[in-house]
Amino acid sequence: MQQKWEVTRPERYVEGKYFASLKAKVIDPGICSHCGTCSVCPVKGIRVEDKPIYFPNWEEECIDCAACVRVCPRYDYVPLNGMGEYIEILAAKSKRFKGQDGAMATEYLVSAIEKGLIDEAIFVGRDEDWRTTVHRVRDADQVNTLLTGTKYSFAAVLPEMIQSVREGNNVGVVGTPCMVSGIRKMQREIRLFAKRVKLVIGLFCTENFYWHQLSAFLAERGIDLRKGIKTDIKKGKFIVEYADGEKAEIPVKEFDPIIPSGCKVCQDFAAVESDVSVGSVGSKAGFSTLIIRQEVAKDLLDFMKEQGTVEVIEEVKMKIVEKLIHHKMEIHPYPPKK
Amino acid sequence: MKKIKAEKLGLTESVKRHLEAIGVVVGEVIVPSTITIHYPRERRKLPDNFRGLILFDNKACISCFRCAHICPANAIVMEHRIAYFPSIDYAKCIFCHFCVDSCPTGALRPTKIHDFVYKDMDEMVVHSEEMVETPEIVREDSFTVEYVFDGDVQLVKKKEKEELVPEVKPPERPPKVAAALNPENCISCRLCVAACPTFAISAKEEKTKIILEINVDRCTACSICNKICPTSTLGLVDR
Repeated sequence: MQQKWEVTRPERYVEGKYFASLKAKVIDPGICSHCGTCSVCPVKGIRVEDKPIYFPNWEEECIDCAACVRVCPRYDYVPLNGMGEYIEILAAKSKRFKGQDGAMATEYLVSAIEKGLIDEAIFVGRDEDWRTTVHRVRDADQVNTLLTGTKYSFAAVLPEMIQSVREGNNVGVVGTPCMVSGIRKMQREIRLFAKRVKLVIGLFCTENFYWHQLSAFLAERGIDLRKGIKTDIKKGKFIVEYADGEKAEIPVKEFDPIIPSGCKVCQDFAAVESDVSVGSVGSKAGFSTLIIRQEVAKDLLDFMKEQGTVEVIEEVKMKIVEKLIHHKMEIHPYPPKK
Repeated sequence: MKKIKAEKLGLTESVKRHLEAIGVVVGEVIVPSTITIHYPRERRKLPDNFRGLILFDNKACISCFRCAHICPANAIVMEHRIAYFPSIDYAKCIFCHFCVDSCPTGALRPTKIHDFVYKDMDEMVVHSEEMVETPEIVREDSFTVEYVFDGDVQLVKKKEKEELVPEVKPPERPPKVAAALNPENCISCRLCVAACPTFAISAKEEKTKIILEINVDRCTACSICNKICPTSTLGLVDR
């Protein structure tokens, strides 16, 4: 009968409202990945900002619906890792967009819009200070106004995606592996998102940072991000490229103090739950490595080939990808070593 | 200026006309042809939807506030009793009966009572509990009079007393009713429960389960639940 229905919710981890359980099991122990899936919160209390997830005045305002604990990928955390299942692996390059490498994440989203698969794509841009900004894109021209490329800072992509879905759009989204896991868990729990989130692109990821910590850390070392035009991690070094071609390098090991604790328990390098994973490693300069996992991503690549917007080469150095996958599993043990 | 002179008549014609005039006067004395209704000994027959005093049924009221919202004279204020019920300030009421027409459950009913007085302004604010019973009316009438417009106006008097509180058919319920179109979208936030103006949606917690139910009898298909739902769970279906 349509007038009576029920919702099954997880057990409470601690007494009190459900947000208390999320706080006690995920946020306080520091395993929160800052994916932002919990911003599904119907009273919009949970904030996804440049600091750990929080809910001001939750004792009063939380309506105890359990949505946050239902969708949180870390609430019953089982780390994902490895290469994951895939249809094919190849390297490709967008002929019309410029990005970090092959700009394939951008190309995928724009092609999905052009194919009619999605109404809106959620893009991450940045401002002059390299703070991440989140944008909803409906056509290719809008993309050119954004500063794409890797930012190495958390972005509030999922709150924007959730809002777009609520407004009735079919959406496509790019995210780190934790965001991909969050979206997948949300799709399993809430049908609306299974229906409306049509394309999930995962990024290769080892760690991500809070913007205020990253910019302060770089400033301490005399690096002014404002003058930078590109950031990258290559061969164990964090590289900031300036407009005049100069480069500043810092060994990645030095970043250890500012690695968020949630990243330290994550073993998923290749976003195993995505439709397609995109990354830099494994392919030659100017190309993106693609791990195509779902039919939807394969169909889109065929569409791009038809439109002539991509250049595809087969060769991918799998060994480097595998090496990084294992490296992440080694440096991020779960449960964490004391 | 133009002067009008009296018509000159012959003797016979003059006498004839005088006799005619006397005849009319005598006739009016015996059976007067006035169209005045002798209130309160007579009452005019009124239609069933006459806009008179308003009665209220607190069992039918669903506290939807529509009467208060639509009242153009701001005469209706919702007051908290067991739920929110309307009060009517008859000092403001313009007897448009928009409130009666807008009531989705027929909780407000029209009557043909148009002759009532209050001692002071405070008394003119009639609270919901004072509108439930039909007020006591002193009836002095024994005739019901009806105007019949058939070429000329005629009065038809009948020796009968008209019922002043007519039977009114309750309005038809809207053909739609709220339903969970996509129950698998529900995140059990229960915003709908809080938003429903007629308290038609209830949520029961059983261990880790939340059981939600829509009471079809109370639902007025206002769609507020549908609009507030963050996950497009609710919608309207045929009743």
